[in-house]
Amino acid sequence: SQGLDYDNIENQLFLEEERRMSPMGFRCLEVSRWVVCGLIGFLTGLIACFIDIAVENLAGLKYEVIKRNIENFTETGGLSISLILWGGFNAAVVMLGSILVAFFEPIAGGSGIPQIKCYLNGVKIPRVVRLKTLVVKVFGVICSVVGGLAVGKEGPMIHSGAVVAAGVSQGRSTSLKRDFKMFEYFRRDTEKRDFVSAGAAAGVSAAFGAPVGGVLFSLEEGASFWNQMLTWRIFFASMISTFTLNFFLSIYHKKTGELSSPGLINFGRFESESVEYYLYEIPLFIAMGAIGGLLGALFNFLNYWITIFRIRYIHRPCLQVMEAMLVAAVTAAVSFTMIYFSNDCQPLAPENSEEYPLQLFCSDGEYNAMATAFFNTPERSVRSLFHNQPGSYNPLTLGLFTLTYFFLACWTYGLAVSAGVFIPSLLIGAAWGRLCGILLASVSPNASIWADPGKYALIGAAAQLGGIVRMTLSLTVIMVEATGNVTYGLPIMLVLMTAKIVGDYFIEGLYDIHIKLQSVPFLHWEAPATSHWLTAREVMSSPVTCLNRIEKVGTIVDTLSNTSTNHNGFPVVVESAGNDEPGKLCGLILRSQLIVLLKHKVFVELVRSRLTQRKLQLKDFRDAYPRFPPIQSIHVSQDERECMMDLTEFMNPTPYTVPQDTSLPRVFKLFRALGLRHLVVVDDENRVVGLVTRKDLARYHMGKHGLEELQLAQT
Amino acid sequence: MSFNQNTLLVVLSCICISVCVSGEVVSAGSPVFKTHVDPLYSLNLLTALNDYSDISQYCKDLLDLFGNQYVAYVNCLVPAARPVKVCQNCFVNFENLNKTYTNISSDEVGPAGEVCRDSLLRSDRLMLVFLLFSNLDGIWEKSNCKNCISSDSPSLTNDTLYFLAMLNQTYNCFDQYQQGNHTELCKNCKNTYRDLNILYSEMEKNYTMCIDIEDAMNVTRRRWSKTFNCSFPREENVPIIAVSSFMLFLPIIFYLSSFLHSEQKKRKLIQPKRVPQYSSLMNIQDKLS
Repeated sequence: SQGLDYDNIENQLFLEEERRMSPMGFRCLEVSRWVVCGLIGFLTGLIACFIDIAVENLAGLKYEVIKRNIENFTETGGLSISLILWGGFNAAVVMLGSILVAFFEPIAGGSGIPQIKCYLNGVKIPRVVRLKTLVVKVFGVICSVVGGLAVGKEGPMIHSGAVVAAGVSQGRSTSLKRDFKMFEYFRRDTEKRDFVSAGAAAGVSAAFGAPVGGVLFSLEEGASFWNQMLTWRIFFASMISTFTLNFFLSIYHKKTGELSSPGLINFGRFESESVEYYLYEIPLFIAMGAIGGLLGALFNFLNYWITIFRIRYIHRPCLQVMEAMLVAAVTAAVSFTMIYFSNDCQPLAPENSEEYPLQLFCSDGEYNAMATAFFNTPERSVRSLFHNQPGSYNPLTLGLFTLTYFFLACWTYGLAVSAGVFIPSLLIGAAWGRLCGILLASVSPNASIWADPGKYALIGAAAQLGGIVRMTLSLTVIMVEATGNVTYGLPIMLVLMTAKIVGDYFIEGLYDIHIKLQSVPFLHWEAPATSHWLTAREVMSSPVTCLNRIEKVGTIVDTLSNTSTNHNGFPVVVESAGNDEPGKLCGLILRSQLIVLLKHKVFVELVRSRLTQRKLQLKDFRDAYPRFPPIQSIHVSQDERECMMDLTEFMNPTPYTVPQDTSLPRVFKLFRALGLRHLVVVDDENRVVGLVTRKDLARYHMGKHGLEELQLAQT
Repeated sequence: MSFNQNTLLVVLSCICISVCVSGEVVSAGSPVFKTHVDPLYSLNLLTALNDYSDISQYCKDLLDLFGNQYVAYVNCLVPAARPVKVCQNCFVNFENLNKTYTNISSDEVGPAGEVCRDSLLRSDRLMLVFLLFSNLDGIWEKSNCKNCISSDSPSLTNDTLYFLAMLNQTYNCFDQYQQGNHTELCKNCKNTYRDLNILYSEMEKNYTMCIDIEDAMNVTRRRWSKTFNCSFPREENVPIIAVSSFMLFLPIIFYLSSFLHSEQKKRKLIQPKRVPQYSSLMNIQDKLS
C-alpha cells in the first residue's frame, strides 16, 4: 500500500497550464465539479435501488420455496429434508458470492468500510476503487444476503459509492479501455480523493437514508482538508443519492411520488407520542450503553482472534470458499433448529407485516414467533423489533436469539464474502434492548411507566453498534436521521459516547482492528500525547536516495529498479562540489513522474537534437494516471543509459521541509493537515538529511505503558 | 315587507356574531346563538323554526321510527355476540335502520316546510342521533358484513352459504366422534377439516372475510388444535438433531484440518532505516533522565 499524493505539484508545467487557462476555464472547472458530484449521487442511488430490488425478489423467492416445503413436510414428516434443503440453498448461493470474491477480486471482501477509511486517510490500497471491485461487490452482497448469512448490505454500499465516484470523476474507464475525454483536469490524486469522499457520503446516504450522516462520515474519516466548498458538494451528492433511491423505489413499488423509502434500511416512523422518553430513563440508557460497549468489546475480541486464524491458516481461495459455504449451512441449521424447538406461538393478526409466517407446530391461526426473527431478512427483523406491539415477543425467544445471532455474526464477519456488519449489530442490540424493555416492564409495579419496549430496542441497537464500530458523530446523526426523530438525538449521543468509552478501555473498534491487521500505516486524528520530545531526526528515514538536478538516465533507472527499497519520492539536490556532503535541496520528484519521463524519452541530448516531437505537457502525466507502468516494462537501451535527464521543469520546486529538531506532533500535524506523502528533513544549510513518510509516523502509538513504537509488516 | 324583516334579521345576526367573536358573553337564554357554526346557517335555522322549543310531528314520527328500529337492531346484536353471528342474524334490521337514517339525513323537505336533518341531527352539541347511528355504522363497517351480504337481494352471498354448509358438516363430524378417544376424531374428521381450511384460505385470498366467518373459523381452529389436540406433534426430534449436529460438526473438522495442514503465513517486518548515532534507545534515556 502506498500513499496518495494529495499535495499539488507546482512545477513549471503546472504554472504554464494555469497561465493558459482563461477565467472562463476556471469557472467551467468549478461547474463540472458540481456536475460530477450530482452524477455520483445519481449513480449511487441507482446502484442501491438495484441491490434492494434484487435482494427483495431473490430472498422472497427463497423464503417462498422453503416455506412451502416446510409446510408440506410438517404434515407428512421428513422435516430433516427441509433442513437439508435450506442449508443446501444457503451454501450454494454463498458459494457463488464467495467464488466471485475469493477468485476474482479479494479486495471486495468484507464490508469495504476499512478500505475506504484508509483511502480517505490517504493510503492507496491497491485495486480498491476499480470497476471490477464494484461489480464483484454488488453481486457479492446480493449473494450474501440472499444466502441467509448474518450480514447486512449497508457497508458495501459505501464502498460502491466510493468506486462510482473514483470512476465517474476521471471521465474514462481504464478497465474497459474507453476514454470519454472528459474531466481530464481531475485525473490526479487530489481531485480523486475529494470525489471519493463525496462518493462515500453518497453511499452512506443511500444505505441509511441519512444525507447529513453521510457528509459527517466522510468528514470524520478523511478530514485532512476541511474545505467549505467541498463540504457543500459532498452534501449535494448525498442528497441526490437518497432522493434518487427514494424516487426509483417508489416507482418500483407502484406508489410513484410517495417517497417513503429514503434508504436501504428503513427503521420505520417513531411516532412522537408513543415513544417519548423521560428524564429518569437517561441513566438506564447510559447503563445500556455500557452494556453495549462491553458486548461490543467481546465481539471485537473474538473476531480479532478468528481473523488472525484466518490470515494464518486459511489463505488459499478454495479454502475460503469452503469456509463461507460451511458458515452459510451452519447458519441455516442453527436457525432451523431454533425454530423447530421453539414453543412460542403468537396469534396471526391481520395487520401483521409478517410475509412468511411459519406455522410449524403451533395451533392453527398462530405462527411460530422464533421464525419472525430467523426466517426473515435482518432489516425486516430489526423493524419488527422496533415497532411491534408490546407482548409480541417472548423473553426466552429473544434471549436465545440474541445469543445465537451474536456468535453467528461474530463468526461471519471477515469471511471472503462481501458483507457488512451494521445490520447484524443493530439486530443483536435491538433484541437485547427489547429484552431489557420487557424485563423493566415486568419488574416495575406500574407497567405503564415503561411503556414501549420498541424504544429500548432502538437504544440497545445504537449501543451495540457503537460498541462494535466506535463511530461517534456520524453514527449519532445517521441514527437520528434514520429514525426520523430529532428528540432521540440526546439519548443516542449519550449511549454512543458511553459505549465508546467503555469499549475503548478494552479493545479498539472493529474496523480499526482490521486496518491494523492489514498493516496499513493509518494516521489517527492527532499524534500520540507526550510525544513532543521525539524530533524529526529520530523519526525520519536516513540516508535518503537523492537525485541530481541533471541526472544520468542509467542512475535513474537503477534507482527505480532497486527492489530492496521501494521509494516513491526522491529529493532533487543541486550537484555539490564535494561528493561526500549531501547536496542542497532544490525539489522533489515522484516515481510516477520519472516513469512518464523515461517512457517519453525526455533526454537532454534528444531535446538538443530536436528528436522529440513536442514538449511534454501535464496532459501526458494525466493520461498515464492512475496505473503507471512498472519500471520493468520501460525499455532503456545501453546508449540511452548514458544520456542525461533534466528534472528542473518537472520536479516540485518547493517541497515542504522541516528542520531536524521539529517535534513529532508538529511534523504529524503538517503531514495530516496537508495530506503529504513525503516530507523532507533539512539541516540549517538546506541540505537533505532525511525523509519522513507515512510509515515513519504511523508507528507511534499510545500504548498501555506510554509511547510505543510498533513494527509494520510488509504487505 | 319581507325586505325589512330580512334586513333586520341580517343586521341582528351580524351584530350577535361579532359580539360572540369578540369574546363577550351573550345572554344565557339564547341557545340558538351558542352554536359556533357559520352565520348563514344560523340564518337558515331562524327561518326554519317557527318555535324553537319543539320539532314538527313529521320529524317526531321519524325519530320514533328510528328509536324502535335501533332497539330492534341492538336486541338482535347482543345475543349474537358470542359466537359472532351479527351479519347473518341482523342484516335485515340494519338495512331498515340504515334506510330510516338515510331518510332523516336527506335533504327532502317535510310537509310543514322543515328539514328534519337540521332539527334532529344538528340542533345541539351532543348530536345524539348522529352519534348513535355512527356507532352502529362503525360496528357494521368493522365486521365487514358487506362481504357476506349480497348487494342485490337482502340475503347472504353464495360463498357464505357454501362456507356455512361446510362448517355445519365439520361440526357434525366433530359431534359424531366427540365421545371417544380424540385420536379417532383427528383421523376421521381430518379431510373435512382440511377442506374447510382450504376453502377459507381461498376466500381469504379474494377479499376480506366478514366477522361471522372469521370467528367461526377461529373457533373451529381452536377446537381442533386446543380442545381436541389434533395438530401435528413434534415427532422428528432425533433426525433433526442428528442432521444439525452433523452440520455443526463439519466446520470443526474443517478448521482442525486447515490448522494441521496449511503452512502458517508469516509476516515480514519492515525495518526502519534510521541514522545510527541517533538511535531511539539512547535518546530516550537522555531525554528521560
